[in-house]
Amino acid sequence: MEWRHRHVLDLDSWDRSELQHILEQTRSMDELLDRPIKKVPALRGKLVVNLFFEPSTRTRVSFELAEKFLSVDVVNWTASGSSTGKGETLRDTAWTLEAMGADAVVVRHGAVGAADYLAKKLRRSVVFNGGDGAHAHPTQALLDLYTAWKSLGDLHGRKLAMIGDVLHSRVARSDIIAFSRMGVKVELSGPPTLMPRAPEALGATFRKDPHDAVRDADIIYLLRIQRERQEEGMFPSLDEYHQFFGADSRLMGSARPDALVMHPGPINRRVEISSEVADGPQSMILGQVRSGVALRMALLFVCLGGVRQ
Amino acid sequence: MKILLHNAILFDGVSLFGKETDVAIDGGLIEAIGEADLRGGFDVIHDLSGKILCPGFIDLHCHLRDPGQEWREDLFSGSAAGAAGGFTTLVCMPNTDPPLDSPALVSYVLEKSERSPGSRILPAGCVSRGRKGKVLAEMGKMAKAGAVIFTDDGSPVSDTGLLRLALQYSSWLGVRLMEHPEEKSLTAYAQVNEGICSTLSGLKGWPSSAEASDISRGVSLCRDTGVPIHFTHVSAEDSLRVLREAKASKLPVTFDVTPHHLCLSEENVIEGGYDSVFKVNPPLRSRRDRDALWEAVAEGIVDAIATDHAPWHLDEKDLPFQEASFGIASLECAVAAVLTEWEDRGRPCSLERLLGLFTSGPASILPGEWGGAGAGRIEVGLTADLTVLDPELERIVNVEEWKSKARLTPWNGRRLRGWPVMTMVGGRTVHPVEDIDRGLS
Repeated sequence: MEWRHRHVLDLDSWDRSELQHILEQTRSMDELLDRPIKKVPALRGKLVVNLFFEPSTRTRVSFELAEKFLSVDVVNWTASGSSTGKGETLRDTAWTLEAMGADAVVVRHGAVGAADYLAKKLRRSVVFNGGDGAHAHPTQALLDLYTAWKSLGDLHGRKLAMIGDVLHSRVARSDIIAFSRMGVKVELSGPPTLMPRAPEALGATFRKDPHDAVRDADIIYLLRIQRERQEEGMFPSLDEYHQFFGADSRLMGSARPDALVMHPGPINRRVEISSEVADGPQSMILGQVRSGVALRMALLFVCLGGVRQ
Repeated sequence: MKILLHNAILFDGVSLFGKETDVAIDGGLIEAIGEADLRGGFDVIHDLSGKILCPGFIDLHCHLRDPGQEWREDLFSGSAAGAAGGFTTLVCMPNTDPPLDSPALVSYVLEKSERSPGSRILPAGCVSRGRKGKVLAEMGKMAKAGAVIFTDDGSPVSDTGLLRLALQYSSWLGVRLMEHPEEKSLTAYAQVNEGICSTLSGLKGWPSSAEASDISRGVSLCRDTGVPIHFTHVSAEDSLRVLREAKASKLPVTFDVTPHHLCLSEENVIEGGYDSVFKVNPPLRSRRDRDALWEAVAEGIVDAIATDHAPWHLDEKDLPFQEASFGIASLECAVAAVLTEWEDRGRPCSLERLLGLFTSGPASILPGEWGGAGAGRIEVGLTADLTVLDPELERIVNVEEWKSKARLTPWNGRRLRGWPVMTMVGGRTVHPVEDIDRGLS
């Protein structure tokens, strides 16, 4: 298919066939990961800069592995230990990277709109959004979509229950958009203080009782609770959170026994998830990590010329 | 110098006159209105056929950043920008560095205004010393020096006791208090309207109730003290409900709305890919709020349109949305933006009513010689502060040509219709444009 997205900033304008295309590309890459030698020369000679202004282990490592498996030359540029720490603007950083010949930039930044901004300033390089503030994390959503699709097949008509801090979650925003575009019904639950004002604008509905949300769900998606939110007073205590919204055997008792349990990681045991669920047979958490590498390989391949050529 | 403005459609501040009229100006004053003898010894004759001659437009709310932040704007660049935008009078906000809270700084603005190239500039003084919201600033001295409004704009007067004191204390000065309505405990870290925009963007939501609750508080104090209060940049339908009720009960409450809240909504933030030109306090609201503002204009409860022109240096504004400064620069296209939106909406109110919001409306808020019965009008004997509008003229906004130091505006590149083409301050033409001056003398 003719690929029309130069950058991967968010999934707002992606249609179902484009999501499907990426799922299929990811499957090919996933198969590659089973080979004894994983490295292929698909993107040899391309330069990708991983530009991280926020601490991240999983996303950065996952991108780096994906890049290395495709023979990309990788530069890791972190905010600390570079000029950004001394107050260089994002615009100047962007132009510097482009002057160095970056074919693509993977950016993780604490400010909403940072990836969009970078994309507007770069004339040549492709931008992959590795997370901008609480706005979007498109690669996480795509890898989640792939993980679910790999297990369930066609996702149309399925139901996803998402429990937790939707308000502050870029993962939630991108996942809701991705899953609902594939025909999945999305229901949210969590403390009302952690819900966005207009969930219907994202294509989701809010259920006050998490037991109602997980009932009949094919996928139960748990969001990470940042401890700062409790310190800010958004809910009274972590223990109270766990009692009412944590995924433990009680909550799972309301769900179907074959429902998939997903979490973007890193998990807080005994807050949003209990160990029995995290380590149980329904947990897809480690599968998501593997999918992440395959998905990022697929995206790099598609956006950096693998298909266009 | 005798000047004749020939064949204009006259808007006198209240009514539009169908028949083309002449206005003669002598010594900076309006000398005569009616049909003039073209041989009457005029030094200059401007043919204004097809154009609307209005009382000079008054902007009750703009940020000219002087003293102390002249890299963003200064009184001279602001004055030139105001004239280009059709404004003869600008009220500059006191959130300068240092804050404009003393008679010396009031005099500084007025003296610099005397030497400025365009609009006259009238200073607003702080309500509280240092704009810190703790104790009253020297309002009496500032009023005597020429401050025309008191406000801590940029911030509300959050301490209710202080706001009440300020109303009571200023009542003998005849200078109105302007509240920036914002309940700060609801807006910490907030970036965009709470609703669709905050939900989709992940940016912290700024609820309407942050504005409406502060207005409710101010209305309550107005009822209590009987002292007039003005609310600036009202943006939300919830606020309008409170204000409508206050006005219905004849309280001395007034308010203004901005061109950007009339012309833009939170959808522009989303569609613009979180472009920081759309970042402003209060935030661009929902489509419903924007419609409600126009309904309020049509209803006649809005007192003024004020720009809240907030220029920033590119380095402070050309940043990712979350890191950029709050504020929209609009002085030079505000009138055209509003006229275009009014036309696009199928003229929700009469042209008289709309033009009144730039003239007699804001004048009624100002004290002394700037306010009262004659201000914002065209009458024989009044100072010749005049604005000429060409309602048909279409022009594309090009921010690079602005007299303002701002280089970002949401309207850049947009085609707007209905532009001020001539601005006259005290009989002096401060914004002459193109082919309007036929030099018939």
